Amino acid sequence: MSDRPHPILIAVAALVYLFLMVPLVIVVGAALSDTTYLTFPPQGLSLRWFENIFAISAFRRTIVTSLQIAFLGTMIALLIGIPAAYALNRFRVELPKWLGTLFVLPILVPEIVFGFALLKSLTVGAGVPIFAALLIGHTLIVLPYVVRVISASLASFDFAIEEAAISLGSAPVKTFFTIVLPNVRAGVIAAFILAFITSLNDVSVSLFLTGPGISTLPIQILAHVEQFFDPTVASVSVLLMFLTVAVMAIVERTLGLTFLAK
Amino acid sequence: MTSRRFWCRDGATGWALSAPATLAVLCFLIVPIGAVIAGTFMDPRGAFAPYISYFNSGFRTTVLFRTLQISAFTTIISLIFGFMTAYVVSRAPAKLKSLLIVAAVFPLLTGVVVRAFAWLIILGRNGILNQTLLALGIVNEPLEMLYTQGAVIVGMVYLFVPLMVLSLVGVLENIPKDVLQASSSLGASPMATFRQVLLPLAVPGLIVGAVLVFTGSFTAYATPQLLGGERQTVLATLLQQRAMVSFDWVGASTIATIMTAITISIVLAMSHIARRINPMAT
Amino acid sequence: MTQPLDINAVSAHYGTTKVLEHLSLSVRAGELVSLLGASGCGKTTTLRLIAGFLSPTSGSIELGGRDLTRLPTHRRDIGLVFQNYALFPHLSVLDNVAFGLKQRGVAPGERRKRSMAMLERVGLATLADRAPGALSGGQKQRVALARALVIEPPLLMFDEPLSNLDAKLRVDMRVEIRQLQRVNGTTSVYVTHDQEEAFSISDRVAIMNAGRLMQFDRPEVLYRRPANTFVARFVGFENIIPFKVVARGGDAVTAEATGMRLQLSQNDFGAIPDAFLLATRPDGLMVSAEPAAEGLPAQLGLRTYLGRAYQYQCETAAGHLVANGSLTTPLEAGTQVKLVPVPEQCTILAADGGR
Repeated sequence: MSDRPHPILIAVAALVYLFLMVPLVIVVGAALSDTTYLTFPPQGLSLRWFENIFAISAFRRTIVTSLQIAFLGTMIALLIGIPAAYALNRFRVELPKWLGTLFVLPILVPEIVFGFALLKSLTVGAGVPIFAALLIGHTLIVLPYVVRVISASLASFDFAIEEAAISLGSAPVKTFFTIVLPNVRAGVIAAFILAFITSLNDVSVSLFLTGPGISTLPIQILAHVEQFFDPTVASVSVLLMFLTVAVMAIVERTLGLTFLAK
Repeated sequence: MTSRRFWCRDGATGWALSAPATLAVLCFLIVPIGAVIAGTFMDPRGAFAPYISYFNSGFRTTVLFRTLQISAFTTIISLIFGFMTAYVVSRAPAKLKSLLIVAAVFPLLTGVVVRAFAWLIILGRNGILNQTLLALGIVNEPLEMLYTQGAVIVGMVYLFVPLMVLSLVGVLENIPKDVLQASSSLGASPMATFRQVLLPLAVPGLIVGAVLVFTGSFTAYATPQLLGGERQTVLATLLQQRAMVSFDWVGASTIATIMTAITISIVLAMSHIARRINPMAT
Repeated sequence: MTQPLDINAVSAHYGTTKVLEHLSLSVRAGELVSLLGASGCGKTTTLRLIAGFLSPTSGSIELGGRDLTRLPTHRRDIGLVFQNYALFPHLSVLDNVAFGLKQRGVAPGERRKRSMAMLERVGLATLADRAPGALSGGQKQRVALARALVIEPPLLMFDEPLSNLDAKLRVDMRVEIRQLQRVNGTTSVYVTHDQEEAFSISDRVAIMNAGRLMQFDRPEVLYRRPANTFVARFVGFENIIPFKVVARGGDAVTAEATGMRLQLSQNDFGAIPDAFLLATRPDGLMVSAEPAAEGLPAQLGLRTYLGRAYQYQCETAAGHLVANGSLTTPLEAGTQVKLVPVPEQCTILAADGGR
């Protein structure tokens, strides 16, 4: 039909996708390599580099820290972000416009500047423990995702339904949990996943909020790459990709994948 | 709190519900960053002394210039390829389209470190590209590709093309189909429709995408660190060095302020322009 | 300039759904034909096939003897007016109108002159430099009309052009469209689901249902002599009563239904088959409380007030019918009455419903 794109455009798009996929395939190949240096295609397959991840205590520790921070940070962001998103939609008229912008600030401001500012004021200035500072930093960088995704779901929620429930005798707080929240369930799940992955992958904020004994996985990977050039990092990367695939599979099951493109 | 009081629409409830998040942003983002910025203007040597010394340093101005250059190239390349790809994706049949969207989301969800690392394997001295070129006899000795500006740009484009594709697919899908059909019914060839209708209508979205990529690559750390090293120091890596290696707090704060100022003014200026020229807004 | 359009046995199947089945339709040069039907009847598909936005599974479409079937939209030379106007939001009103001329390589000066003249004709010359976003719905539709007319296409098509306008404007605009079409004598295809609109504007109307053409004729014929039960019900013949002929004498025919006899003349209805369906609108079936009246025995149900008459829901041996009764004697629910058909208001259909 007449609206099929020009073959040259199709070829370009195909090359772009190739460009996107090939490096990831190469990482997987390198992770499975039997050699002590990075090669592709792998010469002999083995899983020894995956074992190596867990043999290096720094990786073991940072994986745990990263998961803890990502989980706690996301939960706190949901805890303070859901009421904020609800307020922004329910009291759209009463609340000033800049309040919505305020919650987006953490992604508007360069992350690396934010990390540095936290180091300066919290860790160095106020003596806040590194783990706490890390948690605060991660909570804030995922907050915009939480507020935005849940606001988007609430935008299509008809608040007349909530009023109907209250008019039928349901208490307001109870109504929020029985009527509003179930209707934005998809948004909450999406917000959780986006926030968790964002936190897990963060480099720029964590960069400044690590110290002796406490670091996150991406920072540890950076440090490792700069010292050794063996396939361990490839294996960790594959592990992270695996996690991403698992998360996407959950999204696919619950919401359908195109949800992520919104 | 009685239930009637809870529901008076005076906004007090709204303020109460958004208070925790507001306070968090205020205390942990605005105040700390404000302190960093304010600190640079309270230097004992004079209010603008840190900036004068920054711009007097040939090295540091080179870094600023290099960062802007890398971001500009990244933005232009991502824009061109992202737009072409997004156009094809938006025209694809439904099934293929969602597959292509997923294929763009996946790298986006893979961490920046992993994605930079992939290019380390490819572009290294003994990397795959060099091995291939040597094996094919195209070069006689391995090329020095790593730690060049090109390497950083490739890594950055790799980082931001998926973002560009996804945001432009959204933009293109928002252009009403019947407007494009009207164009062809009036005799415009597919190419004419593309140039005279689709492209002008996509401009606001292209600007938003460009801002996203420009600010993103302007402040990126991991990719220039891994693929550019010390030879391709950019503002972000310089900031980290100043703060964590040299413990030069004033210098680091100055860089932080410059980065914030440039980022925010670009975002504000471009979103203003995008809103002004958006023909769909009226 | 003006050319006939021929749709020859066109089918459109998408997967297993058959949107259109062997549709054949000929529009004479200069004629305005409406495609009328409920949503999903295939009228919009037909329009999109003619425009080239869709390809038919089989069959062909010819305009002035030129086969369009394999031609891409931009080479078909068709003026199209869209439901949502589909104006280019980034171009001024004038540039919107001039767009088609630009594609045809008309020089800028000439383009401007012709576009302004066309805007003059639709009464929008003063708004030429505005952005389309700043116009009202009616103005937008006029711009869309001017944009389609200025290229002087051999075929003009309208896709529910008035459905986004309010009732008053809708009536004004359809008169305007009809006048412009008459003056240019452009062959036109007009898609709508609004029966009044289709009947008032068209030379002929094609009533469609489930991807098939049900009847294609002048509005007067469709309104008075529907060819089958679908069209009959569509144009308001709510009462359909089966009859059998019991006696024939010359042109006079005596027919019988459960509980009544009826005299009909073949002069009025053409040849009457031995078994047929008598179709009437509510105002062609009068309620009579007269016990001696020759009519269908019925029990009255709900009464509603129409202004010119009372209307009754009735239960009869022939099923549920709707009849009108005089304003002077309102009758109560439950009353036993006779329903008397008014032959001039009736039409007859083949016993199988005309399928």
